[in-house]
Amino acid sequence: MAEKEEFTDISGKTIKLSCQNYSPFCREFTISSAKLSLGRVMAFTCTVWLLAYTAFYLTQNTAVLSGAIFVTLSGMLLHIHFVKVDHETLLVVGSLGVQLSAAYASGRESTTFIEMSRIKDIVINEAIHMQTVIYYLCILLKDPAEPDGVSSVVPLFQSSKPRLNCLVRVYRSCQEIIGQT
Amino acid sequence: MGQRKRVNVQSPVPCPSETQPFSPHTHSSTEIPHHTHAFNTSGHHGYLQSGKHSICMVSDFFYPNMGGVESHIYQLSQCLIEKGHKVVIATHAYGERRGVRYLNNGLKVYYLPLQVMYNQSTATTCFHSLPLLRCVFVRERITVVHAHSSFSAMAHDALFHAKTMGLNTVFTDHSLFGFADLSSVLTNKLLTVSLCDTNHIVCVSYTSKENTVLRAALNPDIVSVIPNAVDPTDFTPDPSCRDSSKITIVVVSRLVYRKGIDLLGGIIPELCAKHPDLCFLIGGEGPKRLVLEEVREKYQLHDRVRLLGALDHKDVRDVLVQGHIFLNTSLTEAFCMAIVEGASCGLQVVSTRVGGIPEVLPDELVTLCEPTVSSLCVGLEKVIARQRAGKVPSPAAIHRQVQTLYTWRNVAERTEKVYDHACRQPVLPLPARLRRLRSHCGAVAGSIFSFVAVINFLFLLFLQWLFPNHLIDVAVDASGPGGRWGRGFGKEESKDPIVARCAVEDTRRLKC
Repeated sequence: MAEKEEFTDISGKTIKLSCQNYSPFCREFTISSAKLSLGRVMAFTCTVWLLAYTAFYLTQNTAVLSGAIFVTLSGMLLHIHFVKVDHETLLVVGSLGVQLSAAYASGRESTTFIEMSRIKDIVINEAIHMQTVIYYLCILLKDPAEPDGVSSVVPLFQSSKPRLNCLVRVYRSCQEIIGQT
Repeated sequence: MGQRKRVNVQSPVPCPSETQPFSPHTHSSTEIPHHTHAFNTSGHHGYLQSGKHSICMVSDFFYPNMGGVESHIYQLSQCLIEKGHKVVIATHAYGERRGVRYLNNGLKVYYLPLQVMYNQSTATTCFHSLPLLRCVFVRERITVVHAHSSFSAMAHDALFHAKTMGLNTVFTDHSLFGFADLSSVLTNKLLTVSLCDTNHIVCVSYTSKENTVLRAALNPDIVSVIPNAVDPTDFTPDPSCRDSSKITIVVVSRLVYRKGIDLLGGIIPELCAKHPDLCFLIGGEGPKRLVLEEVREKYQLHDRVRLLGALDHKDVRDVLVQGHIFLNTSLTEAFCMAIVEGASCGLQVVSTRVGGIPEVLPDELVTLCEPTVSSLCVGLEKVIARQRAGKVPSPAAIHRQVQTLYTWRNVAERTEKVYDHACRQPVLPLPARLRRLRSHCGAVAGSIFSFVAVINFLFLLFLQWLFPNHLIDVAVDASGPGGRWGRGFGKEESKDPIVARCAVEDTRRLKC
């Protein structure tokens, strides 16, 4: 049932997009990014420990070494719990709403649901991110006070940051469902 | 220039609508050759084959900031889009206005988050703007970089980066400089360095050309003169707004030293004493407002000298038509738009004979004086006497004469030729560029900037390694050949409906 396609994110890493069609009114898009690589963990740990050893050599203070262990461990924990996202899911149910969820590497999940009456549309927009200009998909929320206005924007796939071709795929499918209602 | 008020509408996000787009100029869509339709297959060569350019205008000065350079860039871009070119504008972020915006007819503006240092000009380190500008140039597939204003550090940076990236460059100078004081000497040196390997330079008047050629030690052959223009439909005369019991002198300028406000402060009491039915209407804001307020206070002229403060551009015409005489007291001016606007509203123009002003209007439309209080008074009195005797041509006649003189379409046509010319010239490779820098800019500055150019080149190589060009998504064209502004959206077969949808929403928002 699920179609899988490979795309790249803005920094050139491979990401997988899978589209699950439950019914003509209900579709789920999951973007999975690469798992945390062992090499990067090693590189991070080695850097911190080498710095700590240099500091220890200069100061002869063992607290530096314990500090380094603490920094590496807590850094890794915080990273997998709050930063590293494995899957991002967008579930669009026509006439009901949109559910966004992100699964972190530690297993933590965060989910938000936006009901259809608050959604004005889903569009692709451009933004300046770090030192580049990127495309991103976002949900426009209606302004309750002013029916034509937009009160705020919810960016989608914030941590995987897919490139334009992937966004266009998701956008088209979303519009098919939203357009029906 | 009526579009100006629409520009200020805050629309942080474009969003879609099902309505049809409103596009006041449909020329751009009818002139587009169809073979470049597929937007992601036409690279740089696609633009050159179709004879169209992909132009990036770079300047620190753009809306919401107000001034001559800003409106020049906007109007020129609109006319170039109408001719089928693709235009994007890069400027720095103005407060909350940052990111990417669309103006009328798919004019895309990048408000890049660069630090502003002084007078809305960004700080220059020669390097820090490279990543963002490179990203803009690559994703928009820019073929010509057109920088504006020598006061703008961002424009110089962009020229520098564009040459490093091998793009053709054009520079427009909007101002005159001195040669004597320290700041001019430094700016002139910077200009020499910046322009020595620029493909083509545009000046707004022959005086400005002479000035630029001398300052930057350029070959005059690569400098063209293209004057500014005004939109004659925005500046129409309306004699019924005048108070015929009095004679009104209108002054509209920023109240700064350069505009000769001190001269104005000398003229006001002298003429007011001689002519009891004379009054002054002064629009504009600036540090020299104090001078005028002092004069008004000292001679008790509160009922005859009205200071209007800062004016929106759309209100300028309403102020101009209230007067009989337009007075310009500038001490230096490359090309004076204000006197053309004044004449277009049917006013008698009195101006100082400085810079490029004598070239601007034919002699019968303007009275030129030396930049002294006595000479300006003599000139004004002559015009006042003529006005009283009724020996002046009617405002409508003056307007008819002026409206054909300067049009933006003409400016765009001439600028297009400059782009064609610039694109035929080679962009110097690094070794030749270094030789040019050292031979043209003196031993010390030349060597320093050669070093900077090499560092910039290495930085570019580093960026190309860090974020390779193929990872930068090619932007969907909103204007130019294959531009998607207001075309083919809302249909399933549309290649990319997103930007078109965004565009529509923005037009609609800008309209209301």
